[in-house]
Amino acid sequence: MAFFRSLQNSAFTEWLLGSDSIWTYPTVLTLHTVGMAILVGASFVVHLRVLQVAGDVPLRRLLPLYRFVWIGFAINLLSGLLLFVTEAADRVVDPVFYLKMGSIAVALCLGVIVKRRAIEPQGAPEVTTGLSRSMAAASLALWTIAIVAGRLMAYLKSAA
Amino acid sequence: MLEFAAWVESTRISKTLFGMSWLWPACESLHFIGLCLLIGGAGVLDLRLMGMFRGLPIRHIKAMMPWAIGGFLINATTGTLFLIMQPHLYLSSAVWWSKVAFIVVAAVNALFFETRLALSALSMDPDADTPRALKVVGACSLFSWFAVLYCGRMLPYLGTGN
Repeated sequence: MAFFRSLQNSAFTEWLLGSDSIWTYPTVLTLHTVGMAILVGASFVVHLRVLQVAGDVPLRRLLPLYRFVWIGFAINLLSGLLLFVTEAADRVVDPVFYLKMGSIAVALCLGVIVKRRAIEPQGAPEVTTGLSRSMAAASLALWTIAIVAGRLMAYLKSAA
Repeated sequence: MLEFAAWVESTRISKTLFGMSWLWPACESLHFIGLCLLIGGAGVLDLRLMGMFRGLPIRHIKAMMPWAIGGFLINATTGTLFLIMQPHLYLSSAVWWSKVAFIVVAAVNALFFETRLALSALSMDPDADTPRALKVVGACSLFSWFAVLYCGRMLPYLGTGN
């Protein structure tokens, strides 16, 4: 706990939050939103197709979209780490933070499993199985929960 | 414009909506979800028009566009609610007007694609490279939507005298 407290009270936090420049905190926040658009946007497209509610794009053709999933994830892992440092002590005791992290972890895993089961295999059926569809639906729900939890954290912060 | 903002803010609907403390964060969450649908769906089409995702037929991608349009409608609705609740915040902000301008650019660009280029794009060989006109339209769309996102997210920080 002392470690997280020292992160939150570090000179880095003071610089990132205290600077008047738009290139510090606002830019990290905006990068986190850009990463979200790429990561969740690409995931939404893949999972809606697997759910069979977004037309009949040949499933294997969705494979390149996973590159964007990982690019968006990398942007958000890095920008998220910076944001975490500035409020580390508050977040490690915040259940909403763990809800967000857990949702992201499971949503990503489901995305990888769906890719291996329904998208990658040569000659995988264009009509997805019930199990793949359930996993796609769960992943969509978890991304939604992660977004809502992320938004909620901003309010819990200002309340604290 | 500020008089108009003051008038909107004095209306019962504005006061009632702003009085519901849960509505603002709920709209923000929806705005983020709508953004992901819009940029996810439109982004795939834009990148395809720019020549990426070869082998993915454009007509298949177009079948996904109702989700992108749905995302846009979610955001237009929640955005209008923000505007009704706190009009002065937006109407007095050059960054907000830039955001509106980029939405107009993206919309006109999309309309131009639909009316002038879509038919020939749909009949293209899925493995072929796209002509320059499609690349320009795709890049214009992608740039505009990210500019919209940038203006929206930076709105509280830009042009505040900092």
